[in-house]
Amino acid sequence: MGEEKKPHHIYNKDDEVSQDRPWIFRTYAGHTNVWASNELYRSNLAKGQTGLSIAMDLPTQCGYSSDHDIAKPEIGKVGVPINSLDDMLILFDNIPLEEMNTSMTINGTSMWLLSLYIAMAEEQGVDISKLKGTTQNDLIKEYLARGTYIFPPEDSIRIIVDMYEYCLHNTPAWNASNICSYHLQEAGATPVQELAFALTTAITILDAIKERDCFNEEEFERCVGRISYFVNAGMRFVEELSKMRAFCEMWDEITTERYGVKNPKYRRFRYGVQVNSLGLTEEQPENNAWRILIETLGVTLSRKARCRALQLPAWNEALSLPRPWDQQWSLRLQQVMAYETDLLEYPDIFEGSVVIESKVKDLKEKAFAEINKIIEMGGGVEAIKSGYMKSALVSSQSERMTKLVKGEQIVVGKNKWTDGLESPLVKDSDGGIFMVDAEAAQRTIDALNNTRAKRDDSRVASALAELTSAANNGTNMMAASIECAKARVTTGEWSDTLREAFGEFRPPTGVEGQALSIESETLDTVRAKVQTFIDQYGYRPRMVVGKPGLDGHSNGAEMIAVAARHAGFDVIYFGIRLSASDIVQSALEENVDVIGISLLSGSHNEIIDQLFDELDKNKAKESIPVILGGIIPTPDFEALHQKGIKRIFTPKDYDLMVVMDQIMDVINDQKSQ
Amino acid sequence: MIKSHNNVTSSSEALLQQMQSALPEELVQLIDQAKAHEKWPVARLISIFERHTEANLIARHQIINHLNQQPGQLNKTGMVLGITGTPGAGKSSLIGELCLSLLKNSTDISIAVLAIDPSSHVSGGALLGDRTRTLFPINDNRLFFRSQASQLDLGGMSKQTFHVTRLLRKLFDIIIIETVGIGQSEIEVQRLSDHTCLVMQPLAGDQVQFMKAGIMEVPDTFIINKCDEESLAKKSLHLLKSSLKLASIHLDHKESKPKEIFLTSATKRLGIDTLSDFVFSQAKEIVNQTFLQTQEDYFLVKSIKQEYGEFGFNVYTELSKQENKFQGTLEEKELQFAGEISKYIKKP
Repeated sequence: MGEEKKPHHIYNKDDEVSQDRPWIFRTYAGHTNVWASNELYRSNLAKGQTGLSIAMDLPTQCGYSSDHDIAKPEIGKVGVPINSLDDMLILFDNIPLEEMNTSMTINGTSMWLLSLYIAMAEEQGVDISKLKGTTQNDLIKEYLARGTYIFPPEDSIRIIVDMYEYCLHNTPAWNASNICSYHLQEAGATPVQELAFALTTAITILDAIKERDCFNEEEFERCVGRISYFVNAGMRFVEELSKMRAFCEMWDEITTERYGVKNPKYRRFRYGVQVNSLGLTEEQPENNAWRILIETLGVTLSRKARCRALQLPAWNEALSLPRPWDQQWSLRLQQVMAYETDLLEYPDIFEGSVVIESKVKDLKEKAFAEINKIIEMGGGVEAIKSGYMKSALVSSQSERMTKLVKGEQIVVGKNKWTDGLESPLVKDSDGGIFMVDAEAAQRTIDALNNTRAKRDDSRVASALAELTSAANNGTNMMAASIECAKARVTTGEWSDTLREAFGEFRPPTGVEGQALSIESETLDTVRAKVQTFIDQYGYRPRMVVGKPGLDGHSNGAEMIAVAARHAGFDVIYFGIRLSASDIVQSALEENVDVIGISLLSGSHNEIIDQLFDELDKNKAKESIPVILGGIIPTPDFEALHQKGIKRIFTPKDYDLMVVMDQIMDVINDQKSQ
Repeated sequence: MIKSHNNVTSSSEALLQQMQSALPEELVQLIDQAKAHEKWPVARLISIFERHTEANLIARHQIINHLNQQPGQLNKTGMVLGITGTPGAGKSSLIGELCLSLLKNSTDISIAVLAIDPSSHVSGGALLGDRTRTLFPINDNRLFFRSQASQLDLGGMSKQTFHVTRLLRKLFDIIIIETVGIGQSEIEVQRLSDHTCLVMQPLAGDQVQFMKAGIMEVPDTFIINKCDEESLAKKSLHLLKSSLKLASIHLDHKESKPKEIFLTSATKRLGIDTLSDFVFSQAKEIVNQTFLQTQEDYFLVKSIKQEYGEFGFNVYTELSKQENKFQGTLEEKELQFAGEISKYIKKP
């Protein structure tokens, strides 16, 4: 700023521009159980990795111990299960905490995991003020897109503020939360929505911190400085890099104007990235390698707005779980970009670009308008409770799907140039999903029982009573929560105690009132079939749509529900986090013609068994057909069909009306039996 | 031959005759299971009362007849509680908490919830999302939940809903009907409810709008939900009372049925038990049989108007002056009338 620039100066390596450091290359890891994950972390660290990015399994994320019914199909599937401090000690066995930068993708139970981490450090005699790391802890995006929330919005924000307050005083290098726009884009957010909703989340948290009035001015500035972001980058990379520049400028303005932060260091927009997985295709999957490269450009090209850490998906993510080789291929892309090119040698290469500047200005204006609109509505919490943000996302997603079906948005290999030679890369891929052997899951449960057997029950009871009283009387819950960790309280007990105090929350689904604008021959065919059905049976086909299990990625289910209404069905949309019994009970009470379920966590085999058992118990297995959607590897199809699944839809089936047509056929087949 | 939107194509005489045949054994069984509140049997019976085919028309008559003939205590008439209100007032969550409280406070109570959402004007389909807000207990037969589309194209929500309440009254102690928004169809809810509640948000600035629309006179009871804080609750109560006063609606207990106001918070579980005690006491009152008769007449006339217009209505008014002209169940009356009016309509 204020620096005179020579109009035609050409930068070269000898200019006094310090070379930028490469961003951090991350791997998100954790699976099976604490023993297997500890081994994995230690081998990664031995290779020179300095940070850990810990993936927890869904029961841990949703606040259930591994022996809870809803937890069983999910133990160790998408991450490591943590039931108590004993698990934590094994997970970090022989890993020096004071040297680690530990990032935990944890939200609903973030306070619990932080408490476990601190209790572990204290038991090991590590100075907790040295602890470095991040708890993701962005509940607003959980309500909107990811689904691992537990408590109502006000209570969730209170937990976040408790953690900021505790961390600033006790673990000053810990990021109590990480604002995520990543999942918003996966749920359909436009760049403007991504900017607006993520910054609204940050404002919601900072406002709540201000309201508590627990920091002096200097402390509050440092607290603002601890806010970091986790962002997405899609295929429209010019717009994406403009978005990142807009983020930086908007954050600087918000922290200056709304919060009066004077030190520019604390106004810097610090962010990590995972590039978009949603746009990766199951069709001609080799093209995804190029897509990942292009998506990387958006977050690395601008020095002014370059990411601090980057995670890349693997080219075959839409097919199955990537092999180590697939992950290595993505890592190599980052290394080639950072070390073979001259990118890091230059200052910002877009400074002064009229096109980029006007694009940034446009994004900023629209995003600020949206932020102000939400603030006028009463802020982030209100916009969650009223469903405003969620409806906006579902609506953007419906538009995206419509454009895809109409061919207005070209996706190579999916809706254009669909004929191609078979990829030799796919041939050797195992095509499987990650399997956790029953023994490994049992070991987790045995350890849990062991902890329960040897702990001091009276200490557990009084620790939980303390937690309840802190929750009810509004004092900071961290101290009580850390004592729970030390007393060997379990993940389920900690969560149940707070469920009792705060209640559980089921946010608006955003699907109501959504409309599609798809008009196609297939739609005409489906509607004609629906009309014939009505004429014959005197009612509209009825379908229940829901997600059993703990996986909260609801886009697919939402789109099917909206599409079914568009086709002329009466759709009962039941949302996420349901047990097999919930779904079967709804199907019986609603007397539906078909059950539609969606699963992405890889637990489909176990959950489908539960569902059919439940239908069988109610003598309805032969009468109500079940269709399945989600990330389902092709090798699993045959077994699933044998179990009784009538149709399986994967991301390849993007034409919603073709899906509806097939569902209508399933219904008619059943009726004619 | 009559071809109507009810898909009735046979002659009304033939149908009337078929109605007199004995109730098929599988329906007898289904009714027995439904009497024990088994989920799927109840659901399948409801479908019979919702669907528009000749077979269902006949079955409806037979089922109602069968249920009416049950002796004494088995022949119950549950109370219908209509719950309506603006979108966003938190009706679904409130009903969820209300049901849980009713179940907790009485072991032998049975409740059916019928949640109605609008159908799309474009596709005719509907997205019924009320199940998402509360997770009800599994396998507790005392509580039954059903979603229903307003089905604009198939004869209006209230007729189909009315049919279902005829059935549910015979099976459950309390039938809760939930409708969205404030409009014509919500005033219709009052016609099929013994008691109507209006759920509002605290300090909703649109109270004046309600009064203009004459809506404030509809409900028997007002519920201000989302009263998460006491000061907010008090302020809202005051505002509602003064709004009612402005609309000349009195809350004093000299009236035969005074209007009550409840303050609740579904999320904080405040005021729920008081509300559930009130609902429970209402359910104990014996349902007024004259009211039920008036209700049935209203829906009969409504469907006649829908199918045959003003002309049909005039014919009906004229014919019903003759004593005992139309007799039996609603289905019988409809067919008796169809037979009469066919004399006036040219065959195609």
